Amino acid sequence: MDKMVLNLGPQHPSTHGVLRLLLELDGEIITSVEPEVGYLHRSLEKMAESKSYIQYLPMVDRVDYLSGFFYSYAFCNAYETLNHIQVPEYANYIRVMFMELNRLASHLLWLGTYLLDLGAISPMFYTFREREDIVTYFEKVTGQRLMYNYFVFGGVRHCDIYLDEALRIVDNIYNKIDEYEDIITENPVFLSRTKDVGIISKQKALDWGLTGPNLRASGILQDYRSIMPIYDDLEFDIILSSEGDCYSRYIVRIYEMRESVYIIKQCIEYLQNINLSNVPLNNFYHKQKQHEGEIYSFVEAPRGLTMCYLKSVGEDTPYRVKWRTGSYYSTQILKDILKGVYLSDVMSIYGSLDVVLPEVDR
Amino acid sequence: MVKKIFLSIKAILKGHFAVLKHLFRQPVTMEYPEVHPFLSPYFRGRHVLEGCRGCGLCKRVCPSDAIIIEKNDNHYVNKYVIDYSKCIFCGNCMFYCPTHSMKMSGNYELAKTRKSDLLTDIYFKGV
Amino acid sequence: MNYLLCTLFEIKWLPDIWAVILVSVIGFGVVISLLILTVLFLVLAERKLLGFFTQRKGPNRVGLWGVLQTTADAIKLLCKENIELLSSDKFIFTIAPIMAFASVILLWCLIPYNSEFHLINSSVGVLLYFAIASLPMIFHFLAGYSSNNKYSLIGSYRSLGLTCSYSIVLMLSVMSVILVSGTMDLDKIVLFQSKTWMIFSNVLGFLIFFIATLAKLNRCPFDLSEAESEIVCGYHTEYSGMRFAMFFLGEYAELFVMSMLVVILFFGGYLPPFGMYLANAFMGNCEFCSYLIYFEQTIWLFIKTLIIVFVIIWIRATLPRLTQVSTLNMFWKYIIPISIFNLIMIIMMRALW
Repeated sequence: MDKMVLNLGPQHPSTHGVLRLLLELDGEIITSVEPEVGYLHRSLEKMAESKSYIQYLPMVDRVDYLSGFFYSYAFCNAYETLNHIQVPEYANYIRVMFMELNRLASHLLWLGTYLLDLGAISPMFYTFREREDIVTYFEKVTGQRLMYNYFVFGGVRHCDIYLDEALRIVDNIYNKIDEYEDIITENPVFLSRTKDVGIISKQKALDWGLTGPNLRASGILQDYRSIMPIYDDLEFDIILSSEGDCYSRYIVRIYEMRESVYIIKQCIEYLQNINLSNVPLNNFYHKQKQHEGEIYSFVEAPRGLTMCYLKSVGEDTPYRVKWRTGSYYSTQILKDILKGVYLSDVMSIYGSLDVVLPEVDR
Repeated sequence: MVKKIFLSIKAILKGHFAVLKHLFRQPVTMEYPEVHPFLSPYFRGRHVLEGCRGCGLCKRVCPSDAIIIEKNDNHYVNKYVIDYSKCIFCGNCMFYCPTHSMKMSGNYELAKTRKSDLLTDIYFKGV
Repeated sequence: MNYLLCTLFEIKWLPDIWAVILVSVIGFGVVISLLILTVLFLVLAERKLLGFFTQRKGPNRVGLWGVLQTTADAIKLLCKENIELLSSDKFIFTIAPIMAFASVILLWCLIPYNSEFHLINSSVGVLLYFAIASLPMIFHFLAGYSSNNKYSLIGSYRSLGLTCSYSIVLMLSVMSVILVSGTMDLDKIVLFQSKTWMIFSNVLGFLIFFIATLAKLNRCPFDLSEAESEIVCGYHTEYSGMRFAMFFLGEYAELFVMSMLVVILFFGGYLPPFGMYLANAFMGNCEFCSYLIYFEQTIWLFIKTLIIVFVIIWIRATLPRLTQVSTLNMFWKYIIPISIFNLIMIIMMRALW
């Protein structure tokens, strides 16, 4: 029987961007998959070589527009480690708080769009409603909704953060997560779409280099937050699930949101007890000679481990910047796990991996 | 088997009533052109320049080369143009201005019909 | 209808054959205008309701509360160009949306709107209804097949697969209704329920019929033949302009007419829920009342139908989409045995009484 080659994407309602999947179909069963990336390449790595550190810093948020703070942090951390800049403790707490809020926003968006891929309409609007709260809060503090440019080398821009509002937002979200679970978690239609679909075994997950919630859903205890120094004083659990199917990836993210709320509350508690009003602004322009050397900093982003390689030869501009992002690896694994599944399961598997295309192509 | 069917019907009904609850809640829609969103003092909209000395640091930190400064013979700023087709509103020019003369206002309605209109002279008065 | 016809026969104003034609045309015009108005309202109602379900306001820009939104959309679609691929089968591509919409219009003519206005009154009304109701699916398939697009092709064979799963169930559950009422005439099925509604004697049959109706209407959770997140738009991916609107409006017209059938089969059709007409209750048995009752019957039918439509929209707001495989599994492994069981129970009840 002849096989049909279906070109899913680059413009397709549910590839969340411009991923192109070359599917070979036998009826509705997929026999081979070729994911093609590169439609959203903005040469953010090469751009760094012609811009100074200060100029490059706002660009970093654009690696992944859904979780900009993580990339800011990775780049700032690399620079700070290279140049031996000490970050004050309050700034570390603010950074953790904003990163976890951003993780919440990112997971909320994932939850909504994933269910939209599966055909449920309402959860998307509910999650966007809560995400809107977070994003509006970010806008209030940093000045923009997605491209924050808030973390700077040696701390944060300013400390005029509205802690009460942050507390209200996370409390609200904590209650709303239960509401989402009412609609989704036990729904038999949802279960039939996700249970035992797209199973990634432990070995396969490690072989393809998965990180983050996708890896934890396969039953491997690996959360880089536990070895990051800024998370040292904070208590949180690492969420683990053993099945490795779409449902466990969903469960891991849902519970991770609750953990994020827990971490944010600890940060807010710390920040409420110190006086942030007479903290100096952090807008200094680095005139000094940059240190030479290379560094590989890491952060646990919502879509897996994010690493920033930075090499400096003492000039005003970086010699080389390289980003390692989680989505790129999640895209490659599609080649393996999409074989032999039905066309309608493509979206439930691909959506559950939480791929964001700008992060893949950078 | 029967228990499983019963549980799934229960779950479906639970989901339906969770959705039905929203029917009686107030809409969260913001009717934009009539109602404008609240903007914090940190919001990064159109630039406002007052008392510029023309040091050109903003030009150096701008990531997208959107700033054009023209000076007259006495090295005073003659013209300070921001190309809004290039500007990414990162706020670097505001953050690193040594005299704090660059501010960003809450004006975000910047759409123009021609690209040349986006080249905006924002210089009001020098020192 | 018959009353009008008899009057025309009596006054001998026209030859008999012309009188019949005139009455049919008038009846058809009434049905068409009802259909158009209902569909325009229904599209708006769905968008508004989905908005309210998700804490939004829904369309509220065109006209007061957005009442003219669908009209504006329809005008926009009318003005748009009909795009067709060079490689598509032009004849079928053009005729499929028209035929799909026409067959839905035919369905509207079969419905008894009140005890008098029943355009096509057949003694095998239910069978006729389902014979015609299976037509849109064929034209959906042809539309997808002729447009020479891979997504359309997948959508069209998905809709054929869906037909395989629901049609047997639909007929089995209708058979249980026919067995209880003892007639296939839609009018008589309605009158049979003047004491108690059918749903009280045939709950399982109603649930099965409702699920099969959802599948028949391509509604959530069975909207897999036009699953926009998987196969873009299914069979009408390549359609634009008024041809797309034909499918779109036809879908909503079918939604309403199927809900009307649910009401007729299980909720007493145009009969009032309290066993008494409001017009009679308030104004006594005057001659004017007997005309008023016809309107009241239609209004009752529409109110009941709108409740069913509300439930269908509510389900759309909540449930995700099933896959092709799980739909077939569900229908063949669970619902067909249950409906056969239901049928046997009904037969035994009929035999005992």
